[in-house]
Amino acid sequence: MSVEQQRKERIGEVILKADKISLGFGGVKALNDISFDIRKGEIRAIIGPNGAGKSSMLNVINGFYQPQEGNIEYKGKVYNPMRPYLAASNGIARTFQNIALFKGMSTLDNMMTGRVLKMHASILEQALYFGRGKKEELEHRAYVEEIIDFLEIQAIRKTPVGRLPYGLQKRVELGRALAAQPDLLLLDEPMAGMNIEEKEDMSRFIIDVNEHFGTTIALIEHDMSVVMDLSDRVVVLDYGKKLADGTPDEVRANQAVIDAYLGVSHE
Amino acid sequence: MTSASDYPDIATYDTFPKLLRYNAQHLKDSPAMREKNFGIWQSWTWHQVHEEVSRLACGMASLGLKRGDSVAIIGDNRPRLYWTIAVAQSLGAIAVPVYHDSNAEEMVYPLKHADVRMAIAEDQEQVDKLLFCKDKVPTLECVIYDDVRGVREYTEDYLHSYDSVLEMGDAFASANPGYVDGEIDKGKGSDVCIMPYTSGTTGEPKGVLLTYDNLLKSAYSGVIFEKLRADDQCLAYLPIAWIGDTAFSFAQSYITGFCVACPESSETVLTDLRELGPTYFFAPPRIFENILTQVSIRIEDASAMKRRMYHYFMGVARKVGVRLLEGEDVSLSDRMLYALGNILVYEPLKNVLGLSKVRIGYTAGEAIGPDIFDFYRSLGINLKQLYGSTETSVFVTIQPDGQIKPDTVGVPLNGVDLKIADSGEVLIKSPGIFYQYYKNEEATEEAKIDGWFHTGDAGFLDEDGHLKIIDRAKDVGKLTDGGLFAPKYIENKLKFFPEIREAVAFGNAKDYCAVFINIDSEAVGNWAERRGIAYASYQELASLPQVAEMVKAAVEQVNADLAGEERVAGSQIKRFLILHKLLDADDGELTRTSKVRRRFIAEKYAPLIEGLYSDAKEASIDAEITFEDGRKGTLRADLEIFDATRVSAPSVAQAAE
Amino acid sequence: MELLQSVLVTPFAEMIGEPFFFIEVLIGGLMAGVMYSLVALGFVLIFKASGVFNFSQGIMVLFAALNFVGLMELGLPIWAAFIATCVIMVVLAFAVERMVLRHLVNQEPIILFMATIGLTFFLEGLGETFWGSEVRPLDIGIPDGVFEIGPVWIQQSELVAAVVASLLVTTLALFFHYTRVGRALRAVADDHQAALSIGIPLNHIWIIVWAVAGFVALIAGIMWGAKLGVQFSLSVIALKALPVLILGGFTSIPGAIIGGLMIGAGEKIAEIYWGPVFGGAIEEWFAYILALCFLFFRPQGLFGDKIIERV
Repeated sequence: MSVEQQRKERIGEVILKADKISLGFGGVKALNDISFDIRKGEIRAIIGPNGAGKSSMLNVINGFYQPQEGNIEYKGKVYNPMRPYLAASNGIARTFQNIALFKGMSTLDNMMTGRVLKMHASILEQALYFGRGKKEELEHRAYVEEIIDFLEIQAIRKTPVGRLPYGLQKRVELGRALAAQPDLLLLDEPMAGMNIEEKEDMSRFIIDVNEHFGTTIALIEHDMSVVMDLSDRVVVLDYGKKLADGTPDEVRANQAVIDAYLGVSHE
Repeated sequence: MTSASDYPDIATYDTFPKLLRYNAQHLKDSPAMREKNFGIWQSWTWHQVHEEVSRLACGMASLGLKRGDSVAIIGDNRPRLYWTIAVAQSLGAIAVPVYHDSNAEEMVYPLKHADVRMAIAEDQEQVDKLLFCKDKVPTLECVIYDDVRGVREYTEDYLHSYDSVLEMGDAFASANPGYVDGEIDKGKGSDVCIMPYTSGTTGEPKGVLLTYDNLLKSAYSGVIFEKLRADDQCLAYLPIAWIGDTAFSFAQSYITGFCVACPESSETVLTDLRELGPTYFFAPPRIFENILTQVSIRIEDASAMKRRMYHYFMGVARKVGVRLLEGEDVSLSDRMLYALGNILVYEPLKNVLGLSKVRIGYTAGEAIGPDIFDFYRSLGINLKQLYGSTETSVFVTIQPDGQIKPDTVGVPLNGVDLKIADSGEVLIKSPGIFYQYYKNEEATEEAKIDGWFHTGDAGFLDEDGHLKIIDRAKDVGKLTDGGLFAPKYIENKLKFFPEIREAVAFGNAKDYCAVFINIDSEAVGNWAERRGIAYASYQELASLPQVAEMVKAAVEQVNADLAGEERVAGSQIKRFLILHKLLDADDGELTRTSKVRRRFIAEKYAPLIEGLYSDAKEASIDAEITFEDGRKGTLRADLEIFDATRVSAPSVAQAAE
Repeated sequence: MELLQSVLVTPFAEMIGEPFFFIEVLIGGLMAGVMYSLVALGFVLIFKASGVFNFSQGIMVLFAALNFVGLMELGLPIWAAFIATCVIMVVLAFAVERMVLRHLVNQEPIILFMATIGLTFFLEGLGETFWGSEVRPLDIGIPDGVFEIGPVWIQQSELVAAVVASLLVTTLALFFHYTRVGRALRAVADDHQAALSIGIPLNHIWIIVWAVAGFVALIAGIMWGAKLGVQFSLSVIALKALPVLILGGFTSIPGAIIGGLMIGAGEKIAEIYWGPVFGGAIEEWFAYILALCFLFFRPQGLFGDKIIERV
């Protein structure tokens, strides 16, 4: 069985559905009647030029923004609207375009914090490090160590993340998201500001995460070439509207997309 | 005290698999290997290692590995890869460690040349390279990989995971009980056990066949020389394919039973070093240099208080540290200062570097700068130099404790015969001398004549019997009076002066030695500024009479040094000049790795050389230079030529004073 | 010349001349400093977790102490009054989150600051309405004697205060470092958005820090009250926390503690030894002058995050 086929088989039913989402700030429409879905196990890309509303879309999915219209259906349940806490506690993790790490903490602490929702021992047990507290801490540490190994960041385990170079911070941020064992991982421009080598590394990690953990991934990127190699399906946004939706090949051939990217006006 | 009786008898236990069996019985539960994994140090006892090696050997036997086959080992320092060396040897096969940082193309040659039948790869990266090589290496039958990540999806049927081979081994063992032990018993000291590849500067790499006797006896004499113990510990972080690592992290560990630790990853080496605190440590000069640079940078960033304390106590250490280590007389007040420095600076520093427990530290491979060497020794780290090569199974000479000279590589070990050919080349006869180059009789005959291995290095023994390596033999020439002329040796001596950045020595087939000097713009510039001497350009700085005087003093100091060494006393510098521009790779005068291209320089500056070998007081030159923006221009310069005083042999004693 | 001598020489000569007296002064100062630290701690907690400069922290000290002493006067035993006051402070935290903070999410810091000023007046009024404005003595059974170590005398009440304060600080440190909530608090202090995205509910965190700050205020209030009686001037003393924060940095818990000790010891020593030169009452303004000096030379405080404006 080819790798291609194996990938196809991995993809399952719809896990998240954005239904007629509209979002405006003051008079500006950031998103206009957007609908699309994400299937379990796939790598789904949202692309578009700057200001197309990609980040807004991601923020709607994990509840940072509440859309004026439309709703999010996740794992068969309709959220109107989604809230960050609900998103996180139901298995949606994310990273940020401008890296939002806990800069004062070490890599390890950042990732341990990523497991905050998985911890159940009482405050007293944790504080005094006995009973459930100790056992739990060790279990979480073991899981985090697996991710550290996976992302090859052993060397910076104890380094305060504020001191790390940009590329590594991005990796730690991915690590923190993975530490939450998400079902759906949202990546906001995971390769922005990286050099080619770092982009290649990051692409490899994204594919590995998808294969190794079976995590569904939705990512935003404006670098078309990277996205096309990486993703199973692509949504194209432009000025808050959906231009196209389909496999990379379909999207590549779509006239509206070509026009938007080449800046041709189409009356 | 350790004595020979503490080690297994290598006449009886004459192969590594036999030693492993011995250690499993005698050292049982003491640790043989450690590795940091998932943030925690894991360890394996000798007993466990023996079990695992036996299981894997069964597995590889069931895959068809037979006596005389060769097995490639490719990857970073992982315990499992070290074990496969012993696995191959248990079955009478030859381990062929391959540099894991080679790209796929480069890997084809050794795999093909060595007729590799099986290969063991660390991870997906190496497996990918092997898949690329598979079609080009007809003998390659199967590939075993350790880390399953990413490889799981591969469908090639000749790929086996390490764990699956272990399982095959269990099945094989129950069907053929005692098979591996029988094979181990068949092995004998004269069998070839490993074939590392040397990266020659020219031509294809050569496969060096080493027998158990070579490696074992050589490593054993090193063990005896340093009185290594079972409770020593080392960190295996240099490439497995490099013979030094085989000697330290495999051969000597098997003989003494000390524990070898593998770092978590190549980036964590410094952290792992700190956590582990090895007692036996090896690093090439480059690494010692890097660590020193890092220390200096960190100190400059530290608070003023700490910085002052560091500089003060390092001054104390420079003054007395080395002498204390050598066991010389030091005044009580200096001893007390050093003891205080030890508490405040040296110990904390060594602790941070992970060097606080080092009993024996080696450096080798190239000349280490005396200031770097002394820095570590003055901290109380017993750093020593060692000389050897793949063909000699490493151990030829080592500096004995208490007799460390920064510019020698020590005395020959027990069993090593060493002589200097007329050409100055170092010749060696020892149990460690390799069996032959694989499928390369011509090269074998060139390198091994009447049992003497021609090292290709030129050197001589000093008055205390210490070997001093001066240059590559092929670069060493003769003066017209027949005296030895070793340009790099002279140049290095000059370059150890901070004011001299680069030097080029001439003298082959000439009457005397003469040199070009490049001053160091920074060091000399600072020096000039402190004295209020004004200068506008490098050229002007280089032509200052005060600078010439300073350089002359350095040259004469070098002459005094050379006079003290019989073999090279004739090559003292008679005349020198200071170049008006820095030698530059852009002008083709240096290689990209900053080595001087002597022949090119000799041609380019022919008029200057003419001047050096005449009575002229001056010479002039039009030199073409390339500007930063790529334009070319010429620079005309009139350079003064200076005579340096030479020291005649009888006045050696005074010169040394 | 005489002035110079009385400023630069005489005080030190006196310190050396009577070392035991100096030690007593120093210890007395440090004990007062512990109190400042406690108040400053409340500020830091809230500032770190929500970026809000809580002007009402001083009045919370008074409010807590008023409730405590009031409930005791109503006949509740100490422990019951303590627990009841804790409950009141937690309720207050809920109320603040629900009625103030929730509506001001994403507003400018100055708006939030103004809101806490409003809260100050509200609490002051509330306290006065319920419990009146007269000075109330607070006796919680802290021994009144003197503790002798050789020739040095230490007030037992001050010793108790110090022990209680250090217990509190240790507990808080453990709480912050080792618990899930503590880690979450640190995370929120570091980056709000990121904390939200990994499922830390900001509202809960606010309630927790305000409750903890309320609890700290209660302890401080009891300690101050036991010493000076519960009165409205407590909230003015609590303002001393401001220079403490400038010294220690707004975001550092150890900073709050050391800053408090420095101010406490500094002003007491200044009062005793330099007071006569300046005609006394140095204690009133010493802390502010010290803070001013700090603002000139180290605006981020001793331990605060370095202020780096990135371009």
